Amino acid sequence: MLQAQRSSQRVVARRLRESSVQLGRWQSQRSYASSSEPYDAVIIGGGPGGYVAAIKAAQLGLRTACIEKRGALGGTCLNVGCIPSKSLLNNSHLYHQAQHDFAKRGIDVPEVKLNLDQMLKAKEQSVTALTKGIETLFKQNKVDYIKGTASFLSSNKLSVALNDGGSTEVEGKNIVIATGSEVAPFPGGGIVIDEQQIVSSTGALELTKVPEKMVVIGGGIIGLEMGSVWSRLGAQVTVVEFLGAIGGVGIDEEVAKQFQRILGKQGMKFMLNTKVLSAEKKDGKVFIKTEAAKGGKEDTLEADVVLVSVGRRPVTEGLNLDKIGVEVDNKGRIVIDDQYNTTVQGIKCIGDVTFGPMLAHKAEEEGIAAAEYLKSGHGHVNYNAIPSVVYTYPEVAWVGKTEQELKAVGVQYKIGKFPFAANSRAKTNLDTEGQVKFLTEKETDRILGVHIIGPNAGEMIAEAVLAIEYGASAEDIARTSHAHPTLSEAFKEAAMAAYQKAIHF
Amino acid sequence: MHPSIRLSASARVHKPLINFIGKRKWPSTPERPHAHPAAPAEFKASFTTNFLKKFEASASPASKPAAAASSGKSSGVNVSSVETYTEFWDAPSRYWNPKIRELEEREIDAISTGGASLR
Repeated sequence: MLQAQRSSQRVVARRLRESSVQLGRWQSQRSYASSSEPYDAVIIGGGPGGYVAAIKAAQLGLRTACIEKRGALGGTCLNVGCIPSKSLLNNSHLYHQAQHDFAKRGIDVPEVKLNLDQMLKAKEQSVTALTKGIETLFKQNKVDYIKGTASFLSSNKLSVALNDGGSTEVEGKNIVIATGSEVAPFPGGGIVIDEQQIVSSTGALELTKVPEKMVVIGGGIIGLEMGSVWSRLGAQVTVVEFLGAIGGVGIDEEVAKQFQRILGKQGMKFMLNTKVLSAEKKDGKVFIKTEAAKGGKEDTLEADVVLVSVGRRPVTEGLNLDKIGVEVDNKGRIVIDDQYNTTVQGIKCIGDVTFGPMLAHKAEEEGIAAAEYLKSGHGHVNYNAIPSVVYTYPEVAWVGKTEQELKAVGVQYKIGKFPFAANSRAKTNLDTEGQVKFLTEKETDRILGVHIIGPNAGEMIAEAVLAIEYGASAEDIARTSHAHPTLSEAFKEAAMAAYQKAIHF
Repeated sequence: MHPSIRLSASARVHKPLINFIGKRKWPSTPERPHAHPAAPAEFKASFTTNFLKKFEASASPASKPAAAASSGKSSGVNVSSVETYTEFWDAPSRYWNPKIRELEEREIDAISTGGASLR
């Protein structure tokens, strides 16, 4: 190996003699190819897990490169997920408020018109600003950004097909796989996504006109958020869900019921315990055949647009994992230990492509921890304290255990609830739907779970995450001053209700 | 507001569960790996017999923490004083990244043009 190194130095010396122009070319190749200086860390994927891991690794003094094939950093979340959907959720909410809510607040607007082109442009602007922002962070932190598609040649060498043409090889002492997830196709392949009439979450962000009728297959977080957007903009939305409740994995049953009731009042329709059999395009419409989940009478729904939101699956195609011996489970997830090691030493894995919930903030935590493990052999992620948020209106947010989970494992627990209808700020805002619900261990008063449905739930849940992370009791929260008048007083009062009694309810 | 002695003596004192834990300090030795907390039960159950076995069989010094890896030597029996390295970067950097003075553009031009560029 050392001999090979010396010979490569001789080649370098010869090239130096040839010409300065050639030297420039050689250097630009050498910055990626790593025959002499392998990176300390190479991250495959520039999504929330990958880019955070890259920046953290660089901050810890590791020579780091990040390989991303999309041509823009930020992954699904920034480009076609969390960020653009939040832009549409926020702006469609304002439109809906202007139409249906302003008058009762004493604001008369003669005519409210939707300019969908401009709304989509605003969404694009926020996406572009944020992705460019990450590129700047890479520069600031001296992370090499390689635009291309990586595949393993060996456990520490990658071949990268560059987006601009050509290919290069990148060598790393450590490689972190953070390739994320993609939309899962409809099971059985009976419904093919065309991103025009039958769309995934990506296509649902780019509809050029408001559909008259929209059917959402899958009542999880993505389906409810995108269904809400188009419902507020004027579509008749029907959500078809195989299970008996909406909200997806981890939502508390009581909250799910309340959530469905509120969305129902807003005009969304729900068909629970219902199985979708097929979707057929005919005369500019889509006809969706359904039947009861347990079998029974068939029904047909007509729609202008169908959103298929039945989940996501890990992305590992093209990585050559089988060639190097990285194990994958039967769901396509890369198998890891608690230090994010895969079955091959030198290769770690984080984010949607491995175990745990497919959430951007979970991937970010893992990105930080993986970089710290690389540097020091230690890191920290508390999987009991990863919040979930549905950014509908009102928002729904939770962290920790549900009542159903506590019952299943036989934990004795107490419940403390406080409705926003009894909160002064919610009343002044004319925004009183929902509640805060605490679940605490009966014996110790330790907080085990918090479930919020109501205004600003997504921000408020951070306090619950902090409490669970540091093992707080409901009384710890209840004895902490919360500013008046704020929505967060509802949080404090629910904690009071859990350990003793609320004051205002 | 001063509670009477009797009242304060009878009142329950709240003991917070939250404690100040101070600045985090990692131990100097790396942690032992365990099954991932979010892994399915079957993977947790077979972690030692399955995952760890495969992991250890794929031994490469590259998997050590980066700081440690920079001085990584091959493990095993020490044969006399000769040190062997699985990867070239495990060797001291002087062997593969000698500190030579970088040539300046002006000098390269001078060499390329046989000194003509200096005139």
